[in-house]
Amino acid sequence: MSTRTITIEVLRYRPEQDQEPFFQSYTVPCDEDWVVLDALNYIKDELDRTLSYRWSCHMFVCGSCGIVVDGEPKLGCKAFVKDYGDKIRVEPLGNFPIERDLVVVIDDFIEKLESVNPYLIPKEEKSIDDGEYLQTPAQLKAFKQYSMCINCLLCYSACPQYGLDPSFVGPAALALAHRYNMDSRDVGRKAREDVVASHEGIWECSFVGACSQVCPKDVDPAGAIQQTKITSAIDYVTSFLPGGNR
Amino acid sequence: MSRKPYVRQMSKTSWFLTHSRYKHYILHEVTCIFIAIYAVILIFGLFRLGQGPEAWQGWLDGLRSPLGVIFQILAFGFAMIHTWSWFKVVPQAMRIQRGESFVPGNLIIGAHYGVLAIISLFVLILAGVA
Repeated sequence: MSTRTITIEVLRYRPEQDQEPFFQSYTVPCDEDWVVLDALNYIKDELDRTLSYRWSCHMFVCGSCGIVVDGEPKLGCKAFVKDYGDKIRVEPLGNFPIERDLVVVIDDFIEKLESVNPYLIPKEEKSIDDGEYLQTPAQLKAFKQYSMCINCLLCYSACPQYGLDPSFVGPAALALAHRYNMDSRDVGRKAREDVVASHEGIWECSFVGACSQVCPKDVDPAGAIQQTKITSAIDYVTSFLPGGNR
Repeated sequence: MSRKPYVRQMSKTSWFLTHSRYKHYILHEVTCIFIAIYAVILIFGLFRLGQGPEAWQGWLDGLRSPLGVIFQILAFGFAMIHTWSWFKVVPQAMRIQRGESFVPGNLIIGAHYGVLAIISLFVLILAGVA
């Protein structure tokens, strides 16, 4: 297998000694089928064991290795070095504080994810003896795309709205709320409404669409948010009609 | 050990220059300014019509002046960019499910252009141009 020598420029930040991040270059002999994560593992194993980054599955399932490669949010395990030049610039995800090197602080996202009640809220609880909540293939299809999210946060890194106003609930959390709202077994839309249909929720989104362009699982959070806007707008208008709640 | 997370600030005035997709977004947002100005000119035309034939003729002459024509060509071009960039993303907001599949996005976009063509033709006939 042929190898190519590539310079990997990594944004380093060691909180105990650095005042601000800086780029450090490493020369890495990359096999032709390597991904950027392989190159980072090589650096860690052979060149500099102080380098910190997150990873786990190496097969774009776990969502741990989100980084910015040459300015584009990517999964480190899905960014093939053959698609890049002889110099690759690797940075931590944008719009999140840097904990250390390529590791970012994601507490804000976790709080937002919890705030949208991302779980099934059935009309009435059934015991296991009562059997499954049945669903047709068409009903599954209605939300399946939005259930593919792996919480890799590439969408938050790409979203300028989240960068400009961190109070924005953001793409992945809103897409997951939509996933449950679209589920035929769920009746939790009202319970999610306070967060989802607020100014910091769907209405903060100006449909830049970057989230959907960088999503490695084709979840299309931007689409989910626009669909929720339509539902929310219809709710608002119908609330003024006879029988509405205004 | 105490933590010291580093926050990278995003420029509030030049963030959209950092990536081509943000430049496209800003272009599609900015084009609406020309559409808004054109709408104000049209409403002003109605106001001038209400003031009598001379005022109306003055408004028409303004539109036919070199400056008026240049603006209208620019506004038309930007309106086309605006239309294209919005129609392109309609299928994301408008998912139409039929059984276990979805109506193809290109069909939805095509239908929008079809309706645009019909309305434009209707307006042109009404104006006596077509």
